[in-house]
Amino acid sequence: MADGGAIHSIEVTVNGVTHSAAVPARRLLVHFIRETLGLRGTHIGCDSGNCGACSVICDGQLIKSCMMLAVAADGAQIETVESLGEGVDGLDPLQEAFREHHGLQCGYCTPGILLNAKTLLEENPNPSEAEIRRALKGNICRCTGYVNIVRAIEAAAAAQAGVPR
Amino acid sequence: MLLAATDYVRPTSVEDALDALGRRGARALAGGQTLINVLKHRAASVELLVDVSRLAELRQIDVRADGSATIGAATTYRELERSAELRAAQPVVCEIAEGTVDRQVRARGTIGGNACFADPASNYPPLLVALEATMEIAGPGGRRTVPASEFFTGIWRTAVGAGELLVSITLPPLGSAGVGYSSLQLAEDSWALARAAAWVRVGTHIEAARVVLGCVAGTPVRAAATERQLVGAAPTVEAVAAAAAAASDGLEPPSDAHASGGYRREMASVMAKRALLAALALGAGKEVGARG
Repeated sequence: MADGGAIHSIEVTVNGVTHSAAVPARRLLVHFIRETLGLRGTHIGCDSGNCGACSVICDGQLIKSCMMLAVAADGAQIETVESLGEGVDGLDPLQEAFREHHGLQCGYCTPGILLNAKTLLEENPNPSEAEIRRALKGNICRCTGYVNIVRAIEAAAAAQAGVPR
Repeated sequence: MLLAATDYVRPTSVEDALDALGRRGARALAGGQTLINVLKHRAASVELLVDVSRLAELRQIDVRADGSATIGAATTYRELERSAELRAAQPVVCEIAEGTVDRQVRARGTIGGNACFADPASNYPPLLVALEATMEIAGPGGRRTVPASEFFTGIWRTAVGAGELLVSITLPPLGSAGVGYSSLQLAEDSWALARAAAWVRVGTHIEAARVVLGCVAGTPVRAAATERQLVGAAPTVEAVAAAAAAASDGLEPPSDAHASGGYRREMASVMAKRALLAALALGAGKEVGARG
């Protein structure tokens, strides 16, 4: 056992690319994503599972990557914010909607909120404002007051349904 | 790195999990939505994390024709809220799941983890006691079942001993009984100041009642005086209000920045009343007035 504790081999698919890595048992998934894989779009806000900035999609479900060990993600399919974007200007329609409706100010919480919105719209393509607000519960934004975030998600839902808003 | 050095193993059977849990400093890891933070704060020293989150036996929901249900301990909140069979048989269990914290936590957090954490403010313990759930615990010497009323033994303490593992939670059929649950929370989904779960069976009058309070002591507390007063009473708002008023008599809940102990005690009785009214509306199939 090294100083950092026992090392385990894991295989994790992130944004479609399978990575084999040796990680200490104690390494959090968020640190694996940011430091081992160098994908810095996943942010660390609070380190305590409260803010949601580190949210990623793990096997189709939104999770907080600071609340899961990397070794526990062995075999998982992970999507980070870097997986988004092939549309106009290389942006995902969701990102486009956030730009259009000013759904961000400092942008620190945005990666987590985009992935939150992505999973929400997959599960519920036409959410009400109340459903959007409730779905955002685990993602804290200190700038916007959420109004424009909600508008952006509503617009993305409408665009997805082919209705201009 | 925030966590202290530790080791990790992901057994593929309950037997292998028990072998691992028998090692020094071992601890079961399910969804980790509490334990990972405990490890970050280094509030507990764990030498081996035994990841039970993928054990098939711990991930199933088995609802039987009579409405009884066995829920694997590592079943997530998300799985609970999405099970139509469970919702039909034990609706309040699913309603609590969907009202817990946020989507991310519900995707990972588990009912067994919640029970084993045994925080006095946790949502499931009072309900499990009110429903007379039985907890199946596996250990090196075999399996045993413990009634929920004996499972919670103190703040963060349960009947699960060293080297043991909570495998499943079995809920008896509701039959004609109604169940209600009420929490006082500062914000939607936040930790509660007071909770109450109620289970009531009504015929021509209230035949049986169980009322269990949370957040007011180290473990869930049966409101015995309220239960006694209800049995034989007519299922009316007045009878419920009169019986619930005494629910938290004699309790001395803790005070903190959010609420004084006296306020918690008073609110526990209000939650008991609301839980009973909800239970009666469900169980008797008729409205028993507004909540309040």
